[in-house]
Amino acid sequence: MRKLKRIGVYIFLSIASLVSIFPFLWMIVSMTNKSVDVTQGRLLPGSYLFENLTVLFDSVNMVTALVNSTIIALITTFLTLLIGSLAGYGFEIYRTPGKDRIFNILLLSMMIPFAAIMIPLYRMFGGVSGTIPFLGIDTLAAAILPTVITAFFIFFFRQNTKMFAKELVEAGRIDGLSELGIFFRVYLPTMKTTYAAAAIIAFMNSWNNYLWPLVVLQSPENQTIPLLISNLGAGYSPDYGVIMTAIVIATLPTALVFFIMQRHFVEGMMGSMKG
Amino acid sequence: MKEFQWKKSRLFAFALLTLIVLAACSSDEESGASGEGDPEEDPDTITAWAWDPNFNIAALEIAEESYDEDIDFEIIENAQDDIVSKLNTGLSSGTMKGMPNIVLIEDQRAQSFLQSYPDAFFPIDDYINPDDFAAYKLAPTSLDDKQYGLPFDTGVTGLFFRTDYLEEAGYSMEDLTDITWEEYIEIGRDVNETTGKDMISLDPNDLGILRVMIQSAGEWYVDEDGTTVNIEGNEPLRKAFENYKAMMEADFVKANSDWSQFISAFNSGDVATVPSGNWIGASIEAEESQAGDWAVAPIPRLDMEGAVNASNQGGSSFYVLNIPGKEKAAEFLGKTFGENEEFYQELVNDVGALGTYTPASDGEAYQAGNDFFGGQSLISDFSTWVEDIPSVNYGMHTYSIEDILAAEMQNYLKGKSLDDALADAQAQAEAQLK
Repeated sequence: MRKLKRIGVYIFLSIASLVSIFPFLWMIVSMTNKSVDVTQGRLLPGSYLFENLTVLFDSVNMVTALVNSTIIALITTFLTLLIGSLAGYGFEIYRTPGKDRIFNILLLSMMIPFAAIMIPLYRMFGGVSGTIPFLGIDTLAAAILPTVITAFFIFFFRQNTKMFAKELVEAGRIDGLSELGIFFRVYLPTMKTTYAAAAIIAFMNSWNNYLWPLVVLQSPENQTIPLLISNLGAGYSPDYGVIMTAIVIATLPTALVFFIMQRHFVEGMMGSMKG
Repeated sequence: MKEFQWKKSRLFAFALLTLIVLAACSSDEESGASGEGDPEEDPDTITAWAWDPNFNIAALEIAEESYDEDIDFEIIENAQDDIVSKLNTGLSSGTMKGMPNIVLIEDQRAQSFLQSYPDAFFPIDDYINPDDFAAYKLAPTSLDDKQYGLPFDTGVTGLFFRTDYLEEAGYSMEDLTDITWEEYIEIGRDVNETTGKDMISLDPNDLGILRVMIQSAGEWYVDEDGTTVNIEGNEPLRKAFENYKAMMEADFVKANSDWSQFISAFNSGDVATVPSGNWIGASIEAEESQAGDWAVAPIPRLDMEGAVNASNQGGSSFYVLNIPGKEKAAEFLGKTFGENEEFYQELVNDVGALGTYTPASDGEAYQAGNDFFGGQSLISDFSTWVEDIPSVNYGMHTYSIEDILAAEMQNYLKGKSLDDALADAQAQAEAQLK
C-alpha cells in the first residue's frame, strides 16, 4: 500500500515537473527551427540553429544589449542589497520612536503600482537631463536609480534580521567596533544566505525589468535585453526562430546566477519565512 | 561612544549632500558655457521611431538614401505597443526630452494622440500637398483642418485565398470577385465540405474583421465627429455582427489566440482564405512551398446600398513632434514621402510597401506581376482598390469601444438578442467615454 502511494506521488511529481520544464524544452527546440516550423509547434530539433544565430547577431546588437543588461543588473543588485540591508538592519536593531509606524508606511508604498509613478519619474529625469551628466532620460543611471530602493527588500532584510543574534551587536560594541563596523564585519558575514537570496531576486527583477527601461531608454546603444526581444517581435512577420534564440541567450545569465546560488537561495527564503 | 558615532555619520551625510549640490551646480555652469552640445538648441541628428525592419523602417532607410541633403538620420526600432507606451509617458510628463523628431503611428490610434496632446505635434501643411494622398487617409491624420500626419502605407484589404482549395470546391477568381459577405459564407460552407479545410482564422478577442466590414460601408463605431458613439442603430455594424455569427455557426472558423497562431493557420495550409490588410502578404509568402497557390480578390462587401468592395485594416502615418529640429524633419518627409515618385517605385520594388501617394500609382513598379500569387499584378490591384476605400473618422476610442463590443459579441453568440447586445454596448460605451 505504501509503495503504491509512493508510486502515485512519483507519477504526480513527474507530470508536474514535465509541465514546468516543457516551455523551456520547447524554447530550446524552437531555437533550432525556422519560423514557420515554430508557429506550427514542431517539437523535434531542426537544423536552423546556426542560421538563427547568424540572423540574430547580424540584425540586432545583441552584444550591446547583453552588456547593458549586465551593467544595469549588477549595479542594481549591489545598490539594492546595500540599501535594503542597511535599512532593514536599522529598523530591527536600533530603537527609534515611531519606527514601526514609519515601517508600516513604507510597506504601504508596495501597494502603489509602478505605472502610477512612472510619469512623475519621467518628468523628474527629464528635468535633470542635460544638467547633470550621466543622469537623465536615456542614461543607464536613470534605468537603475528608481529600482534600487524598494520596500520589499527592506522588509525582506528586516524579517531575516530577526534571526540575527542581537548579542553579536553588543559584543561588537564592547570590542570597540563602530556601528558601521558592526554592520559590515559582524552582520554581513553572518547573513550571507540572506544576501544570496536577495541577490538572486534583485538580479532577476532587474534583468527582466521591462516597463521602466522601455520608457526611459531611447537610443539603441542603451537598449537592454527585454527591449531587444520585444523589438524582434515587432514586425508584421516576426521570425519566431530568431526570437526563441534570443530568449534562450537572455535566459542563460539568470539561470547561471540561480544555479550558482541555489543552495543559499533556498536557505535564505526559509529564513525569511521562519522569521 | 554611540553619540560620537551619530555625530560622525551626520557630518558624513552633510558632506555628501554638499558634494551632490556642488556637483549639480558645477555641471550646470559647464553645459551653460559650452552651449553647443545642448540638445534643446541644435539637434544635429534627426531621430525617427518605427516598428518593422522589413517594412516601415526599410522605407525610412530608402527615403534617407533618396534624400539629397546631407542629414544625420537615426532610425530607432521599437515594437508598436512600445512606441505607444513611450509616447504616452513622454508626452503626458510634459517634458519633451527623449522624444524623437519623427514617429510612426497607426491611423486608428492617431486621433487619440493628436487630441490628447494638442501642442505636441507639428503641422506639416507647408511641406506637403494633402490632396496628393488617398482621401481616406486624411481624416485620421488631421485635426482642426491642420494636416499633422504624412500618410504612409495603406492598409487596403484584400481577400487572400488558396486557389487550389477554392478550385477543388468549384470556385474561380471570378466567383470571388465583388461578392458580399453572405456569399463568402456560402462559399466557405462549400469549401469546408469539399476540402475539409477551414475558411478563415479569427481571434475572438480581436474584432478586426468587423472594422473591415463596417468601413466598407463608410461607417465606424463613432459618428463623423469622431466622438458620438454610433453602435445602436448602426446598420452596417448590425450586419457585421450577423455575418460574424453566421461564420461562427457555419463552423469553418479556426480560432487563434495570438499573432503567431494566426500566421500558423495559413502557413500550415489549414485555412482557405485570409481577408486582411495587404501587409499580410509578406507572411503568406514566407511559406515558400505554397508559391503559386495563392491569389487575391477584392474584399467582400456588406449586403447593403453604398457598401463597396474595398476597405482598410491597419495602415500608419508619420508624425513630426513639436520639438527643435521639426522643420528639418518635416522637410525630410516632404521631399521624400511627400513628392518623390521614383522613391515610391523603389519602395514597391525593394520593400513591397504600398504607399498612399496617388501620383505614384502609374509607375512601372506598380504593374509588375508577383510570381508567388500566380503572376497577379498585386500592387496594381491593391492601388486600384485604395481609391475606393470609404473615408471614415476613426475618432480616439476605437480600441476601448472594441473591448466593449468583443464582450457583447460573446453574449450575442451565446444567444442574447442582437438589439439588446448593441443597445447595451451603446450604453456602456457612452458611460465609459463621458
